[in-house]
Amino acid sequence: MDISSFINFFLIPGIILGSIYALGAIGVTLVYAIMRHGHFAHGDLATFGAFMVLLFSASSGLSPYAALPIAAVAAGLMAIAIDWLFYTHLRTLPKIITTISSLGVALMLRAVVQIFWGVNTLSYETGIARPENWFGLRIKPHEVVTVVMVIGLVVALEIFLRHSKWGKAMRAMSDNPDLASLCGIDNRKVIALTWMLVGALCAASGFFLGLNTQVKSLMGWNILLPTFAAAILGGVGRIEGAILGGLIVGICEEMSVLVIRSEYKVLSGFVILLLALLIRPTGLFRGKVL
Amino acid sequence: MTALLTMSSISGGYGDADILHDLSMEVGAREIVAIIGPNGAGKSTAMKSIFGLLTIRSGTIVVDGTDITGWAPSRIVRSGICYVPQVANVFYDMTVHENFEMGAFLRNGDYSDALERVYEMFPDMKAKQKALAGSLSGGQRQMVAIGRALMLDPKVLLLDEPTAGLSPKYMEQIFQTCRDIRNTGVALVLVEQHAKQALRFADRGYVLAAGRNRCDGTGVDLLNNRFIAEMFLGA
Repeated sequence: MDISSFINFFLIPGIILGSIYALGAIGVTLVYAIMRHGHFAHGDLATFGAFMVLLFSASSGLSPYAALPIAAVAAGLMAIAIDWLFYTHLRTLPKIITTISSLGVALMLRAVVQIFWGVNTLSYETGIARPENWFGLRIKPHEVVTVVMVIGLVVALEIFLRHSKWGKAMRAMSDNPDLASLCGIDNRKVIALTWMLVGALCAASGFFLGLNTQVKSLMGWNILLPTFAAAILGGVGRIEGAILGGLIVGICEEMSVLVIRSEYKVLSGFVILLLALLIRPTGLFRGKVL
Repeated sequence: MTALLTMSSISGGYGDADILHDLSMEVGAREIVAIIGPNGAGKSTAMKSIFGLLTIRSGTIVVDGTDITGWAPSRIVRSGICYVPQVANVFYDMTVHENFEMGAFLRNGDYSDALERVYEMFPDMKAKQKALAGSLSGGQRQMVAIGRALMLDPKVLLLDEPTAGLSPKYMEQIFQTCRDIRNTGVALVLVEQHAKQALRFADRGYVLAAGRNRCDGTGVDLLNNRFIAEMFLGA
């Protein structure tokens, strides 16, 4: 195999998939940093976001790209509603209870999507996207959009967390919730803000997944494992870790077909998760708070 | 003397069992008050009760004419009291500057004057403003914690064992800082393990035992009281 086919068939798809995992992993990391629990409904929230894009673009005639911001807000509001309905009551109990209940929420979300859209495979654009040839690199336009927008989102999130008042409040609460409330920071508002961001990131990852593969009710569930693997590999609570973790898992997954059958591709995420937990449970970047 | 902060007959605790029994205390404007007593006397608990961090079963807490009994901490902080806990009192993964900014979270608009005053009070922190608070020494962290609490321009500042675990040099520095803060017109309440040093520098002291008032008086009086000296000061 020459270098250009390696790049075209493994590296580029790996980076695309990896950026999608990275977006999901950042969300998982945010949930953990603020609420201190795992979030199994993450993948299905991404599915929900992907279908919201479908809904808003179909009903208004907007392009799916233009529908994404609306879908992001819808998914954010959905996340806030879920938190309010299911997680608030569990806040003072051991976190594992919330984690498990998020599994129930995942099933519910998926069922809602299946009731309205069924279980068939849909897509945002009909027809076949032809890859452009850039000096021997075959890249599809939506792949470029995916990577550029993922980078844009991550940069925007970093700027928000480092420089805005409420972004700093999120970091403060992640660091020391009691001290944050002594400063007058309303923890409930920070939690709602976090869910808004998490929902929006989920919608984006679901949309990009749908753009690069297909839109179906199991899409988010299928990326849950690699998303968690990415977050844990990178170090939970670290955004830069989530990005690196996502890229590693994505690229490994694409490259795994060199040695195993493609039906077992998902296995690579599982193996990475196991190895990370066995060898370096704190992740590549030592896990911490935001 | 009209009291700025009045605790009247407070009983309460964290769960069903009361830790504080009929506890009363008063803090006047620009006064430094030390709360001392043996381990387990309820000193820190008394301070936490002022800040709404435990369940008060009976009694009232009044600040500057406003009854704040039963308020949530996030509301009490708006009433002009700031509290510095004994441990975990800084945001470790945030810079010194960001810690101060978080202290000013409730302030709308420009708070550069407050920031300037805090840096003036802790000149060492000016040089360290970009350092993570978690990377500082214990004494420096205590300064960040106090500076953070001063950002809201409180009328009363509550310090829970500000000198715990500090070297004598830093301890003296913290006491000096407390005097400086008082000179800006703020009343201070300190919980102190170092009873003798605290009484020497405080205006008044309250001696607590088993969650009750044992005695109170000016720092000098308490220091010269033979009974107290034997009971609590290990003299």
